[in-house]
This record gives sequence, C-alpha cells and structure tokens, in this order.
Amino acid sequence: MLELFPLIIVLAFLFETMDSSAGMGFGTGLTPLLFLLGYDPLQVVPILLLSEAITGFTSSYFHHEFENVSFSLKKPYNQETKITGMIAVTGCFAIVLSVVLTYAALDLPKSFIKTYVGILVLIMGFIGMVRLKSKTSRYRPRLLTGFAALAGFNKGIGAGGYGPVVMMGQLFSGIYEKTATAIVSLAEGIVSVVGFASFVFITSYGVTVDYLLLPSIFTGGFIAAIISPYMVRVLPNKMWRIVIPIYAILMGILTLAKVINIIP
Amino acid sequence: MDKNENVIQIGLLAQALDAEYSIFERMKIKKESLKRVGYAIGFYISVMIIFTIVL
Repeated sequence: MLELFPLIIVLAFLFETMDSSAGMGFGTGLTPLLFLLGYDPLQVVPILLLSEAITGFTSSYFHHEFENVSFSLKKPYNQETKITGMIAVTGCFAIVLSVVLTYAALDLPKSFIKTYVGILVLIMGFIGMVRLKSKTSRYRPRLLTGFAALAGFNKGIGAGGYGPVVMMGQLFSGIYEKTATAIVSLAEGIVSVVGFASFVFITSYGVTVDYLLLPSIFTGGFIAAIISPYMVRVLPNKMWRIVIPIYAILMGILTLAKVINIIP
Repeated sequence: MDKNENVIQIGLLAQALDAEYSIFERMKIKKESLKRVGYAIGFYISVMIIFTIVL
C-alpha cells in the first residue's frame, strides 16, 4: 500500500511553491529539513532530483500557459528558449562533472566550497536588494553565460546553490523577474533528469535508492508546480523584485548554517 | 514597460501582461488553461497509480 506522509507533503508543497515562484530553494531548503527528520541521503537526494525533474517540467509548462514566459519548441528558437538551453546545458555538464569527481574520489575541501557558495548567494541577495532602486536594466548575455558557468561549477563540485546563482545571475543580466523564474524552472527540470540518471547509473554499482518519500514529495511538489506559475502571473512583478533577493539572502544564510553545523 | 529593446525581447509577454492588465484581470484564466490544469490532475492520478503498483 502506498504510504503518504502529511508533513512531507506540506514541506514539499511550501518549498516547491517558493522554488517555482522565486526560482530557488527546493534542494537547498528541503534537503536539510528532511535530514533533520531522520531520513538518510539516499532516501532524500535522488528523490528530490526525480521530483524536481517532474515538477520543473510541470511548472515551466504552466509558466508558459499562464504567459509568464513564451518558450518556442520549433526553430527559430526565441531568446527565452536559447537562454534556458544555455543554462540547462551548463547544469548538465556540472552534474556529470560532479559524478566524475565523486568517482575520482578527489578530496575537495567541501566546507570551504560551501562557505564560498553561501557567501556568494548572500552577496548576490544583497546586491539584488540594492538593485531594487534602479528602474532600468540592460540585457547582458555574456554576464549571464558567466553566471551560468559559475552556478554549474558550484553544482559540479557538489556545493549546491545552482538555483540561487542562476536566478540572481539572470536578474543581474537584465531578465524580467517573472520570466527568469520560468526559465530557471525548465532548466532545473532538465538538469534534474540528468542528476537522477546519474543516480540510476550509481545504482548499477550496488547503491540502493529508497523510494519511500517519493509519493509524498511528488504530491506536495506537483500541486505547487501548478499553483506557483498562477501566483507569479497574478502578483505584481514589483513584489517578486523584493521577494527573490530576500529569499536568496535566506538561502545564503541556510547554506552557511549548514557549514557551521547549526543544521545538518 | 522598460524601453530597452533587449529587455523587451526577454520577458515581453509577462511585461505586456503586467502593463496592460490589473491584478484582478490577471486572475482570470482562459478555459483552455483550466482544461490543461484538468489534464495535469489526470497525469498526477496516473502517476500515483503507477507508484502504487511499482513501489
């Protein structure tokens, strides 16, 4: 019989709501909470990746449906689609790199790297707050490529922070907040497919993935992936300009709290 | 709406929606979209049935 955990459904719903509307937080926020509840990494990480893959595609589909973005599936691809492709490809390379590094057993100083990611996200959040005063911004594709590469590098070395860096990078590069959220949802959906495939690959080497939490996380995440794009459509962009950097600051603090072991 | 040509290219639809419609007007959604929400619920139910069988 299928087992559903109401607390997990509520948590997945809340974090996916923020992830699909502010472009970040599902992995960074939910992972430590599930560890706190006593679940182990193989019950949490692959399940979050699989769930994020499904909800990423669902949420980006509804962002398109509710006109927060316009993706073109046929050539010539529009700017939004090209940007999504660029961000997703960087993220996919990063995930593969992450697996290779894990297998090469390189002894990377994880706490140092996570501190750097936490500080980076925190600074980006603060710059986002300062940026609130400027009314106009210019589209800077090179800057966006740089941020996508930086986010990919972070994820590749296993430090997380992909969503916040890509999201804030898009805003600094002059992309409209509502559209940036939709782009990051689709890119994360694609990246998560590759991430989950990496775990499937690992299972062929004898690692067992526990699917106990999947129905609950999927339920909460899926409902949020439909509601959030509607929320993004209805609420004014001015509000998202404030909410996104504040949430980035919280994610930066959360990452640093994990480094100093305040939370697991 | 931002007059910068490049910004308009990325997020044109959302910017136009914000500029032309109020919050209450944006709350209304097309019948076609509601139908797609219905399909999504159908997809959710199918996936849960698969989970029940497989897991």
